[in-house]
Amino acid sequence: MAPNPTSGWIQLQDRFYRKVEVYSLLWKQIELSKFIIAGAQYGGPIAMIRDDKKVLLLQNQQPIKPIIYIYSSAGKLLQQIQWDKGRIVAMGWTEQEQLVVAMEEGTIRMYNLDGEYTQFTLGKEAKEHGVTDCQIWGNGLVAMTGNYQLISVTNFEEPRPKQLADPGISEPPHCWTVILPQYTLSRHVEVLIATAATIIVVDGQDAVDQRLQGPFTKMAVSPNGKFLALFTSEGKLWVVSTDFQKNLSEFATKSGIPPQQLAWCGTDSVVLYWELSTSKIVLMIGPFGDWIKLSYDDAIYLIPEIDGVRVITADKCEFLQKVPSPTEEIFAIGSTSASAMLYDALDHFERKSPKADDNIRGIRAELGDAVDNCIEAAGHEFSEHYQRLLLKAAAFGKCFLDSYNAEQFVNMAQNLRVMNAVRYYDIGIPITYAQYQRLTPESLIDRLINRNHHLLAMRIASYLKIRTDRILIHWACAKIKASTEDEETICRAIVDKLSLNASLSYAEIAKTAYKAGQPRLATRLLDYEPRAADQVPLLISMQEDELSLVKAIESGDTDLVYLVIFHLKRKLPLGEFFRLVNNKPLACNLLQVYCKEQDRELLKDFYYQDDRRIESANLSLEESFGETDIVERISKLRIALKLYQDDRNHTFEAKMVEDSIKVLQLQTQLEKDLKESFVGLSISQTIHKCIILGQSSKAAKIKTDFKVTEKRFWWIKLQGLVETRDWEELEKFAKSKKSPIGYEPFVQECIKMRQFQEASKYIMKCEPAARPMLFVKIGAFREAAEQAFTNKDMATLREVRAKCPNSVVGQEVDNLIIQLDTK
Amino acid sequence: MSASHLGKTPLDIAKLRDAVRKRLPELLDTVRGKKGLILDPQLTGPLSLIAEISILKDHGVEKIYHLDDNILDTDCKNLIYICRPKLKYMKYIAAQIRKDRQDTSKRIEYSLFFVSQRTMLCERVLEEEGVLGDITLGEFAMEWIPFEDDLISMELDNSTWKELNLDGDTTAIHQAAKSLMKLQQIYGLFPRIIGKGDSAKALADMLIRMRREQAVVEEVSSSTSRQNPSLLNSLSTHIDQLVIIDRNVDLYTPLCTQLTYEGLIDEIFRIKHSFVELDPSLVGTAPAPGQSVSAQPAATPAGASAAVAAGKKKNYALNSGDKLFSQLCDLNFAVVGGLLNKIAKRINENYEERHQAKTMAQIRTFVGKLPDLQQEHQSLRTHTGIAEEIMSQTITDEFNRMLETQQNLVAGVDSNSEVDYIEELIDKQEPIVKVLRVLCLMSLVQGGLKAKVLEHFKREIIQTYGYEHIQTLYDLERLGLFNVRTSSNASRAAYANVRRTLRLIVNEVDEHNPADISYVYSGYAPLSVRLVQCAVQKISAGHAGGSVPGIGLLVNVVGGGSSGTIGSNQTASQNGGQDKTDKTTVTGWKGYEEILKLLPGAAVDEVQTVEAKNEREAKATAARAKRSLGSHHKKTTIVFFLGGCTFTEVSAIRFLAQQDEGVRDYLVATTQMINGSTLLESVIQSTPFDRGESVEQV
Repeated sequence: MAPNPTSGWIQLQDRFYRKVEVYSLLWKQIELSKFIIAGAQYGGPIAMIRDDKKVLLLQNQQPIKPIIYIYSSAGKLLQQIQWDKGRIVAMGWTEQEQLVVAMEEGTIRMYNLDGEYTQFTLGKEAKEHGVTDCQIWGNGLVAMTGNYQLISVTNFEEPRPKQLADPGISEPPHCWTVILPQYTLSRHVEVLIATAATIIVVDGQDAVDQRLQGPFTKMAVSPNGKFLALFTSEGKLWVVSTDFQKNLSEFATKSGIPPQQLAWCGTDSVVLYWELSTSKIVLMIGPFGDWIKLSYDDAIYLIPEIDGVRVITADKCEFLQKVPSPTEEIFAIGSTSASAMLYDALDHFERKSPKADDNIRGIRAELGDAVDNCIEAAGHEFSEHYQRLLLKAAAFGKCFLDSYNAEQFVNMAQNLRVMNAVRYYDIGIPITYAQYQRLTPESLIDRLINRNHHLLAMRIASYLKIRTDRILIHWACAKIKASTEDEETICRAIVDKLSLNASLSYAEIAKTAYKAGQPRLATRLLDYEPRAADQVPLLISMQEDELSLVKAIESGDTDLVYLVIFHLKRKLPLGEFFRLVNNKPLACNLLQVYCKEQDRELLKDFYYQDDRRIESANLSLEESFGETDIVERISKLRIALKLYQDDRNHTFEAKMVEDSIKVLQLQTQLEKDLKESFVGLSISQTIHKCIILGQSSKAAKIKTDFKVTEKRFWWIKLQGLVETRDWEELEKFAKSKKSPIGYEPFVQECIKMRQFQEASKYIMKCEPAARPMLFVKIGAFREAAEQAFTNKDMATLREVRAKCPNSVVGQEVDNLIIQLDTK
Repeated sequence: MSASHLGKTPLDIAKLRDAVRKRLPELLDTVRGKKGLILDPQLTGPLSLIAEISILKDHGVEKIYHLDDNILDTDCKNLIYICRPKLKYMKYIAAQIRKDRQDTSKRIEYSLFFVSQRTMLCERVLEEEGVLGDITLGEFAMEWIPFEDDLISMELDNSTWKELNLDGDTTAIHQAAKSLMKLQQIYGLFPRIIGKGDSAKALADMLIRMRREQAVVEEVSSSTSRQNPSLLNSLSTHIDQLVIIDRNVDLYTPLCTQLTYEGLIDEIFRIKHSFVELDPSLVGTAPAPGQSVSAQPAATPAGASAAVAAGKKKNYALNSGDKLFSQLCDLNFAVVGGLLNKIAKRINENYEERHQAKTMAQIRTFVGKLPDLQQEHQSLRTHTGIAEEIMSQTITDEFNRMLETQQNLVAGVDSNSEVDYIEELIDKQEPIVKVLRVLCLMSLVQGGLKAKVLEHFKREIIQTYGYEHIQTLYDLERLGLFNVRTSSNASRAAYANVRRTLRLIVNEVDEHNPADISYVYSGYAPLSVRLVQCAVQKISAGHAGGSVPGIGLLVNVVGGGSSGTIGSNQTASQNGGQDKTDKTTVTGWKGYEEILKLLPGAAVDEVQTVEAKNEREAKATAARAKRSLGSHHKKTTIVFFLGGCTFTEVSAIRFLAQQDEGVRDYLVATTQMINGSTLLESVIQSTPFDRGESVEQV
């Protein structure tokens, strides 16, 4: 029979707290006071290393080099890490249960539970001045350097050390802490530093002195980031809101010695722990200044959780929390709440007492809530006995309800099964219902995988209908790492297990195999990977040059193709590189696109080795236009010319390039003669410019030299002369011979310049049919009408009449219409 | 108020925008304090459609710069870059960081957000430049820019078509696939994917493969997918199919001059990201609807917003937030003048109502209507101004000769006057893009030019526009736009065949009451949209048999009567019993294989199904989707243009939507909006000389 649930309850003014013993620890008596300890949240593991500042009797069996021990909450040794690096200043845990170890010289290592690590450094400043302390949380850290600068990292996946504003202190702070980014107004981490008599709040931008009456020797931020507990040097515990705007409570402990640990228990009370040589005292202080004192024989360690605090003693793991309200309602002595009555009714029912019926009748109206409460309370219960009783009570109550949605009941039963499974001492995750809700089942499964509890993870996942891929992948990786069998056997074992799940990603498994020194196994496994894109990075690192390029192309992701191309380019001799790329069209295309923008020399080499003359020629041609120096320009053109000439299909281009060299030479000459800029103009533009400059003969010469068509030449000259308003010359030009473009363009161009007088000169040279409307355009309606009349074109004549604004002329036109009509 | 015209269809396009809009402040808040924002010049337009400048200000943006090769001298302590993952940008950023590093008194925090995805390539370049450690990288997912409820665009650079077909750079296909996957995540799988063209095929293949691979990704990150359920495991309840049109299949359409109102605005003023630059006198002082959005994040460096003085052009938003514009945009320009006139009269009458207002109550109602009336008035003034400006071009002989030439070409009317006309254009040194547009059209429809003619034109062009165009012409040849007609070249016959079978030319067009999509080009029906009609409306196609040449066999589709496309069922049933049900069921290309063979590139027709394993789950998701969106029988067909889409094509598809009213909605999705000029400009070479000039103009 389990002890009465209220047996561990402690009253603190109007509310109850309970201390539940979760585990008797598996470890042998450990003197916690001699260690630096870091405990992970959500019932996670505990890491400890001998504190080198504390005296310890050197015993025979103890190794000289320190060891980081990682224990489960039940005291089971999960991993030990031989420590051979520099001094550790702080340890902490990430959300993924990786152990973060901060070293004095500014390096941060992150260990997983298998003892493998990755590391990064905090930058120059940290290296030069050393790191003195570090605050670590689930997804980031803030380090304090020897010269009191703060360096923050807010993402462990992509650590980017960022220096925060200078706090402006010159002596070690009394204590300091951080407010996590998710709880600050700015969504960036804020650091609170207690120095002198005050607290300075530092963020990325600036440091603000809060001007408080301190000094403060200890502080802690509540789990929801809203409140700050401060311990003053006079022994006062002071709770304020984290923006220092609201004073919440004060309590005098009468202890001049700062507590060893100051921790929040949920969000409404604070736990202080003094480690004195004579006694170990824990003081829990409620929001209204009430307190409870607990004593321990040996040193303890407090791990704050979102809904309470885990107390690790030398031989026990306890959980201290405020009694959840449904539990309190049911079990509190003398409670008459509906849920308590329901629970009681079940007891009567089982004892076949008629009082059961009375109870149910009494709470009829609130029965639904009572059932919900019992379910909820079951969730908060650690003892399986009471979980069962409470669920039974709920099920009993449920029978009296007409329509009750049992979903909640079923879910809770599921949750309890999962929680009980992971709470089992061998697994050692003493997770509470509130924590489980926050953590999500997926993360819980991840934690199980990281502890290599694949089978349990698998069972829970299939029980909760969660995807099992990650578990299988992790299992396969672990299998490869641990296995000593030959690759054939491992490969078959893995594929057999995983083949049920067709779309599973093999890339990570293959990568593990490769890292484990089994490249052949890696290649074999990689063949099962359905995503080409995922194969590529591994293939690159496996030196599978050609295959990685092929797979990248297969993926259709050009970014990936580029990645491989650049890798190969850097790694291989040029010839070899080209050989690999050459027969792959997409790779060739992308290389060209890249080179055109970034690396023309490489492009030249590429075209040359592949004997792509026309492309080479085009490239030379294009480059020539970028040259400002004429000589250079011509020499580039000559290269292009040579290449074009080699190809019989490109005689036209060759001819054109030849011409372009001639044009350049001509233009240089013109520049010399006329002191005007010509280079860069086309032939037409050159002629045009000559005309404008009054160099008709030069223009004519260019025309014959480059076989410019008569028509084009006439247009250019016409436009040039009109532009310079050289009407005399224009007239001469028009008369020089019969125009190949007719005379309408002359009229039109003059009209564009609003030179109606000039325009009229050429109208009569145009086709008779076009004349009337041209006259209309220059406003000569009389002439227009006459021409239409001559043409015997009635329609046009009427149109002229319609457009004519002048009544006198209009009259004349009308006459002509009548005349034409009568004819 | 930005773009409040969205979100009125079952697909609720506004939610595409809102997702991006929500992300922007989040992204800005990753950096503490005041910050400078450096934007990819290509993104300022799209961004301004998503969020107002005030959002930026509210989140601490003090200054906005354009990302270019100038080194900024700024006193901002935080710089946020937002750009597409292009190599040149990485170089600019690296140069900036290195420069700032020299000044040790400065301590600047840099962050860079890639639109829409970070690439390993860019990371590598940053690493090689030695600045990767100094910059925080992130992503800013902005796959789609919604313009209208029936038009969304990826707004890539104009060169997509050229990259795909000339450079062989398939990056755009990958991007398009990613963006379409995003749509599938939101709306569910497209039940059917059909398409025409080699790139379309590649895209469809990639979509299908990505779906398979996505399953892997989602399984791996199951925890995230739980919070944000993607619909990749169920067929879409709203979308019936995706039609992919590879731009390369129909180059005829963009090369022709667009004749709808919006199309002509684009041809003459150039519409950029749905904004058009207008003379301030046209826009007027009162903010027109949507106008406040158009305050593009100040483009010029050093916040030269003050420099946006009078005389400088103003941006005007063209979208259905402007009610008048939404009435006009799809109309053939020929009827716009009359309509504007009518509206002017109505507005005038509305103003006159004030004289009838006798009682206080009547006056109050009138005054209440005033703001709307004034806004409408202002909008009318603007559009009248635009229309006049367009008119001044369309009445010129030059414009009409060009139009006539184009229409002769697409109609297959042979005459030699085209050659003379084009030659004259060159002789007059008209802009090269104008010349090439009509020349390429000629080459395309005639299956190439005679060797002699071709060489003559090449020579004329090179001599007139410069030797750099040796390359331009070579590229056009490789793109199949400017070729020699060979005896074996069947494409001349091919176009004629397509023209006949798909009845691309419709002689009687009533612009006022169009009965067919051909109204958008006054007689030429865009081939691309005809293909869509084949796939979606199941217009009955006659077989292009050699025995019945010359007669449009699709009379029933476009028959002059009011029955329109729904056409005579009689003919349809004669042709093999395609009954009305075909209109709602989706059968892909079935029945049109022969026509598709006439056009270049592969055809795709894939049906996506949901595996039985997931069926229950899928049904549940589908049911959920249905509940949340309400049940509609009307399905939406997505038409995706790979390589760009013209405004006329959008109008033509809207016309289809009108015909299919109640049966089917359409959503046009495109890589970007193009016209013939922007299409060719990506190929036309420029020398540093030209570029220097053009910069000044800008």
